[in-house]
Amino acid sequence: MNAAPSEAPRIRWRGRKFLAGVLLLYFFLFLADQHATEAALFKTAKVIAEITPILLIVIFFTALINRLFRPEALAKHLGQESGLRGWLIALFAGILSHGPMYAWYPMIEDLKKHGLRDGLIVTFFYARSIKIPLLPLMIAYFGLGFTVLLSLYTVIASLLQGLILDRLCGRCDEDKEQNDD
Amino acid sequence: MKNPCYNTPMKNERSSSNSDTKDQPSYRSALKKAAMGMLSLLPMLLAILGLVGLFQVFVTPQMLAKLFSGDALRDTIVGTLAGAVAVGQALISYILGGELLKEGISLYAVAAFILAWVSLGIVQLPAEAEVLGLRFTIWRNLLALIFTPLTAAATVWTLRTFA
Repeated sequence: MNAAPSEAPRIRWRGRKFLAGVLLLYFFLFLADQHATEAALFKTAKVIAEITPILLIVIFFTALINRLFRPEALAKHLGQESGLRGWLIALFAGILSHGPMYAWYPMIEDLKKHGLRDGLIVTFFYARSIKIPLLPLMIAYFGLGFTVLLSLYTVIASLLQGLILDRLCGRCDEDKEQNDD
Repeated sequence: MKNPCYNTPMKNERSSSNSDTKDQPSYRSALKKAAMGMLSLLPMLLAILGLVGLFQVFVTPQMLAKLFSGDALRDTIVGTLAGAVAVGQALISYILGGELLKEGISLYAVAAFILAWVSLGIVQLPAEAEVLGLRFTIWRNLLALIFTPLTAAATVWTLRTFA
């Protein structure tokens, strides 16, 4: 499951083709509309500046989890036998997490290697729709009743999706392992 | 003089605690491993961020707002799909949702739109498939696509029935 401690870490760059495709897209768009493409580049730079602190937090958080919990303990809390505790951890982690979804992919991938079940990932991702810092703004725009109900139904939907995915996607890990090979 | 009856369990506890952590990596090596993991995803993250920039310029909130027609059922589906395509902070979806409400767009559609904005993301699909597997990504997004209009409908229905 884990690399041997003596094994030297090696970077396997991922998404190079995807990045090449996006760069190619920028090139053609630049030829078509230089002004808009420059604006897009500026927006990208702005998002990079915004997301960098979140990525650093994710790195520190991932390291902290790996330092504090043994793989068996992680599997116990977040694996197939995690039970109600696992659902609650996924739910609250989702509600409390900040930043865009993709910033959390490295940590989720790492936890998945330690046995994190797919249903909990789904619950985590959907529970992220509840943004605690933005709740006052949502109340101001849509009212208290709407905000409370939407949050409540989002919690229910998060759990239901997790339960359904666990039933539907029993072979998702095999699919991922094939991709890795 | 120390009481042996007291010391024995303490000693046992300590040795048990040591056995819990002795196999654990140091924080420094765990940090290095986590940083390497993040670094390996850098091309993918840069590609997503590049697409985010493009979407923010070429798919504006105003363009998305024009998709709504006024029909509640159609707009709920449009709201879900528009939210899935849109990128940016959730804050923008609230502001845009508030404007859509003022223009007479159904609350069902607006609720679906703000929920889909955060829970669905076309831009990050390739990265999600690479990191978490294609089958998982398809199922997760399909479930979110189904549950988003349902959650929106349940919210507004409950609000109008009991409020």
